Amino acid sequence: MLMYTIRRLLSSTLILLASSVVTFALAASVADPLAPLRQRRPPPTPQEMANQAHLVGLDRPWHVRYLDWLSHAVRGDFGTDLGGNSVNQELGEHLSLTLRLLVFSMVLAILLAVVVGVLAAVRQNKISDYASTTVAYILIAMPTFWFATLLKEFVAIRLNNIFFGGRPVIGIYGASSAGFKFGHTPSEIFWDQVGHLVLPVLSLAALSYAGWSRFQRASMIDVLNSDYIRLARAKGLRYPRVLVRHALRNALIPTTTVVALGVGTLLGGAVVTEQVFGFEGMGKWLLDAIKQSDPNILLCWLIVSAFAIVVFNLIADLLYAVLDPRIRLS
Amino acid sequence: MKIRRSTALLAGGVVLAMTAAACGGSGGGGGSTTAAQGPKGQIVWSEGTDVIQNFMPIIAAGNSTATANIESRLLLTPFRTYPDFTIHYDQDLLASEPTTATVDGKFTVTYKVNPKAVWSDGQPVTWQDFQFSWDIQKSSDPKKGGCAALLGTTGYDLISGVAQGADDHTAVVTYSKPYGDWKGVFAPGFLPKHIVDKGDPKATCDYVTKGWTLQSGIPEGATNGPWVLLKSGIDTQEKSEVLTPNPKWWGAPTGLERIVFKFATNDPGVAVKNLKSGTANVVYPQPQLDLVKQIKALPGVTSQVNFGLAFEHLDLNTRNPHLAHPEVRKAIALALDRAAIVSSTVGQFDNRATVLNNRFYVNNQPEYKDNTGGLYAKPDVAAAKKLIESIGYKLGSDGIYASPDGKRLSLDTITTVGNKLRENTIDLMASQLKPAGIEIKKDLDPDIFAGAEKAKSLEAGGYDIALFAWVSSPYLTGNKAIYYSVKGDAQGQNYTHGNDPKVDALLDQIDTETDSAKAAELANQTDAQLWSDMFTVPLYQKPTFIAFSSTYTPYDPATHRGIGDNATNAGPHWNDDTWTLKQ
Repeated sequence: MLMYTIRRLLSSTLILLASSVVTFALAASVADPLAPLRQRRPPPTPQEMANQAHLVGLDRPWHVRYLDWLSHAVRGDFGTDLGGNSVNQELGEHLSLTLRLLVFSMVLAILLAVVVGVLAAVRQNKISDYASTTVAYILIAMPTFWFATLLKEFVAIRLNNIFFGGRPVIGIYGASSAGFKFGHTPSEIFWDQVGHLVLPVLSLAALSYAGWSRFQRASMIDVLNSDYIRLARAKGLRYPRVLVRHALRNALIPTTTVVALGVGTLLGGAVVTEQVFGFEGMGKWLLDAIKQSDPNILLCWLIVSAFAIVVFNLIADLLYAVLDPRIRLS
Repeated sequence: MKIRRSTALLAGGVVLAMTAAACGGSGGGGGSTTAAQGPKGQIVWSEGTDVIQNFMPIIAAGNSTATANIESRLLLTPFRTYPDFTIHYDQDLLASEPTTATVDGKFTVTYKVNPKAVWSDGQPVTWQDFQFSWDIQKSSDPKKGGCAALLGTTGYDLISGVAQGADDHTAVVTYSKPYGDWKGVFAPGFLPKHIVDKGDPKATCDYVTKGWTLQSGIPEGATNGPWVLLKSGIDTQEKSEVLTPNPKWWGAPTGLERIVFKFATNDPGVAVKNLKSGTANVVYPQPQLDLVKQIKALPGVTSQVNFGLAFEHLDLNTRNPHLAHPEVRKAIALALDRAAIVSSTVGQFDNRATVLNNRFYVNNQPEYKDNTGGLYAKPDVAAAKKLIESIGYKLGSDGIYASPDGKRLSLDTITTVGNKLRENTIDLMASQLKPAGIEIKKDLDPDIFAGAEKAKSLEAGGYDIALFAWVSSPYLTGNKAIYYSVKGDAQGQNYTHGNDPKVDALLDQIDTETDSAKAAELANQTDAQLWSDMFTVPLYQKPTFIAFSSTYTPYDPATHRGIGDNATNAGPHWNDDTWTLKQ
């Protein structure tokens, strides 16, 4: 397993390198950070535009700029954005917000998916199964931005109006109320942040839960119909024990891998959810960087999110082997 | 049962969290009112333009509307633009109206600084700040000792020296030649010498080049307005900044305890929901019909549509063989029904929208004059066709003219991507010009504002007609780059390549005319000449839209206090120190 892990990491490094070259080349050919300056009145002179191009390195060939970037990136220095701010610091801030969102929504989604998936399988073709299936398909079919908008309008704004006199207790934008730290205690600030987590967590959890509960249900049905479960029942084991110790453990294997892959992808940011709720996580960071044609942020985002996907893919494979001793990685 | 228990637990947790949050005090709106007198409450401004990256206003990284908004009353400048488009000296910064004179044949301006004026660390504002601000901004050419990071040197490059006047608070600025827009100098860019000056030009330039990043903030003592932006007021993670009253401020106290700038996307739906939920107290989005209707329907919200300095227009590229003929350009203007375009686009927002017949002044500026001579008030298709036929064009069987050498009069009209009003305008143009035998093809061009390396950018000239906006200014010299003849490779913003020596001569006169009435007369003469050239066709003023919670006092034009739009380059924050909660 160790050799397998090392081989996977090495091949992943090459993939990351190739991705960064492609992204840099694309950003260099498409992004134009000087575009806003051309609409100034009076406009910068050609000399001033040349100065600005020099300051952001546009007067050098893209591959030279790339190698310069790479030499710093391998040492963990992602440089500065177009405004001169440290990209490393920005990464930490955005990643921590995404992690905050991710941890709560994933825990909620996993719990719901496992519980609902198992119950639907156990009570297959009963009303509760049909009900959970319908809900799951509705959530899967629903566009994220629309679902998020519904949550804002019908959950946050209405609940705030009904229960809290119209005060934005359930936040609809950002990870906290802007300027809230002025004149409020640490405890109040904490609960304000909790209030702002409710909607994005619900949104992300609901959409993740929908798909995962279907995996869990299908996998549980497979396991429940297997011979060893029949044998266990025939031997007289109590049903709850069969369900939890024999069936659920095996039925969790596919879900575990799907969840691991999902978490890896989401570390790059839940782009739509973060955008709709103004949550300054990795996804929104990416969109803002594209809007501002900021190559260093784009590259940092790419490397970090690609790295997360690679690592979680690896974790999924390793977990598969851990959960099922019959599987050996070589 | 398990599901019910889990759900109940989760629901209970959420309700508990919400209840605790409810006990935690107010959210974005209103703020606390701890002070018995003086500033009360706060306001959350939803910034929909850009994320602030740098606060240094004279470099590219600080060249954003968001930075200009937040610094409007942080970094005072000698002159302010009022919502009625007039320019007045800042009565907090200066003790009196600056005076001009010609001394030994040199144009001079004398500024008398208010003796009470200090930077936010208590250091006095003196003539040396004027001298330093000029010195650092007079050149962007490193070979001449200039600082390459500067975004412009307009005005500063004409100053030959800044000297001390009668005392430390008097600065005498001498120009190498008269400069009509001298009131626009030091705005932005009036900087504190004691903070920015690092002893030698290179070190100072390095400091300016790095600027005041979002992460470092603005150093203490670098601002001179009623507000300060402390490091603790900047939330780099959440992209918000909080202005608080400047304890060293010598003028009238601010009306609010805080102004919170929160970056939000420019999505109209977000603006409506943020305002509705109290997440933001004031929004200033690009107006769109649905957005205006939705916000006007919100209870407890005051909104205003205004017409500002930005105007839509057509650039007619004279390098196109058809458009090289003034007859074709004038035929386009004759056949267009601009009034119909206005009523189908911006007229939907507000019935005050009207056709713009001037390139230098917008309709609500006092200097505005209709310089068309009444020629283009109504569409005249017959006259348009007659003009086109006068240069040998023949009407084809498809109803489109062809030039004597057989080229169809079909014109590619580019505009920005994702702007419905502009798309509608081009569709209307196409239907209006077709009866005049002119074909218009709509082309949404993502590269319109790119550099010359993109073939279809304005700079490269790879278009026939372009529809976009110019943001005008009360300062006239900014127009020179648009209408001055192209000299060699230096086209400035004259993307049409329309050259007229008469226009050049008039623009040169405007540059040096220090009497504003005479400058306005010259500008109107230039515009009349441009109507006969028809390199560009002005269409209409763009509307602006501001909406804010009705708990705040709206702007009163008599006292210039209160929240409202300032649809000039100054923006609504021009007087944000006077914003107050209603009593």
